[in-house]
Amino acid sequence: MLLTLFLLGLVYAVLVGVLIAAGTGAITVAVIAGALFLVQFFTSDKIALYSMGAHVVTPQEAPELHQVIDRLCVQANLPKPRVAVAQTPMPNAFAVGRSPKTATVCATSGLLALLSPGELEAVLAHELTHVQNRDVLVMTIASFFASVASFIVQMGFWFGGAFGGDNDDNGPGFIVVLLVSAVVYMVSFVLLQALSRYREFAADRGSAIITGRPSALISALYKISGNMQQVPQRDLRAASGELAAFYIFPPAVKKTVSSLFSTHPPLEARVAALQRLEAQLQGTAR
Amino acid sequence: MGFLDVLLGRRKLAGPAPDRLFAISTAYVTFETSLGIETRGVAAIVFQPLATADFESIVKEMEEVVEATATDSGTKVESSDDSYGFRWLLLRGTSFDDLVVGINAVSSALEGSGYGERVLCAVFAFEDQHKRPLYWIYNYKRGAFYPFVPAGGEQQRDTEREFVLKAQIGAELPIEQELERWFPLWGIPI
Repeated sequence: MLLTLFLLGLVYAVLVGVLIAAGTGAITVAVIAGALFLVQFFTSDKIALYSMGAHVVTPQEAPELHQVIDRLCVQANLPKPRVAVAQTPMPNAFAVGRSPKTATVCATSGLLALLSPGELEAVLAHELTHVQNRDVLVMTIASFFASVASFIVQMGFWFGGAFGGDNDDNGPGFIVVLLVSAVVYMVSFVLLQALSRYREFAADRGSAIITGRPSALISALYKISGNMQQVPQRDLRAASGELAAFYIFPPAVKKTVSSLFSTHPPLEARVAALQRLEAQLQGTAR
Repeated sequence: MGFLDVLLGRRKLAGPAPDRLFAISTAYVTFETSLGIETRGVAAIVFQPLATADFESIVKEMEEVVEATATDSGTKVESSDDSYGFRWLLLRGTSFDDLVVGINAVSSALEGSGYGERVLCAVFAFEDQHKRPLYWIYNYKRGAFYPFVPAGGEQQRDTEREFVLKAQIGAELPIEQELERWFPLWGIPI
């Protein structure tokens, strides 16, 4: 999915580059870009929900889910968002919407089956914090600014060349514009991913503050990530034969490069941050 | 386990690390005073018996010794086998410190007679203010404690409360840092 997102954005940046290089005026390009942005701004919610197969549920259809969200909204002092459920066994939850008033929170049926009530509450509080922090709006605006920056750089290259001297040779200029817009896009993509990771930490923190139970979120994260072998189910007596012999530490996963491009911080970092919060809560933090 | 041992496939079972066991005696003060956690008056040591006459006689001797010292302090000793083939030596008494001393006596006896690697773990049973059971398990081979809270249902554990307990006790107990080694003990007889 990451590659898809990246390529989509690259196509967008290259399209603008092509439009400029093909000689359409700056105003036309700005109008086209602006129109695309507005379309994205107003319809991305519906597109996201539709693509996940999410359907809005009434309190009669999903009473426990609605109750949990009601309680969280009272605690977080938020207007109640629309509640949707996506029928898929993959456990996941997400929130869409530019503002708390127009937001929708969605949980998959896999998530509802997997988590205990406390853990579900923690995950939904994380999503509600995203709504409260207007993260969708922030990321949309940030990505818009990245597109604008790319646009300006391309304009600079095109018209800068014109003022500088001969703009006879359209060939190399065209390619340079494309390259530049691609590079600016790539840099802004990496920065946007970093921003997204920061917002995830903030949402984790928000969940801990709303529920007062950071450990519930830790346990939910482990279950969702399918990493339940982190806190094992196997009995000690069954495992003791092999373990006693070697203490090979699990190899540190080499995630240095891919971590630049991920939208979410690695599980270990999120758990460590939540454990610090729990220690502060318990008054044992040093 | 050195590099050569890994290459040549030599397996050596690790011996017990008993020195850190007594940390739970000092941690118990914190349990009682600030966390409201009390002992249920029972602790157990789990070891893997060998089917040799030598081992059986050692275990018998050790049980007699522990019984002798135990009756002074009012501790009762009983032993039972479980479905995994491990033996549980249960100590019941009112004084938590005596329980810790008794457990240590057993592990030292086994170590002294050369069967130290057979010792798996020690389990201490507690309950919180709401009378819910919780256990602290001491893994002899790692020299570290970890909490275990069984939840209702077949082989369910309440990992959230385990993380909370870990945060509550802070640095007072040497706690197992690797979560993959927080192995549960299903069907604990204490």
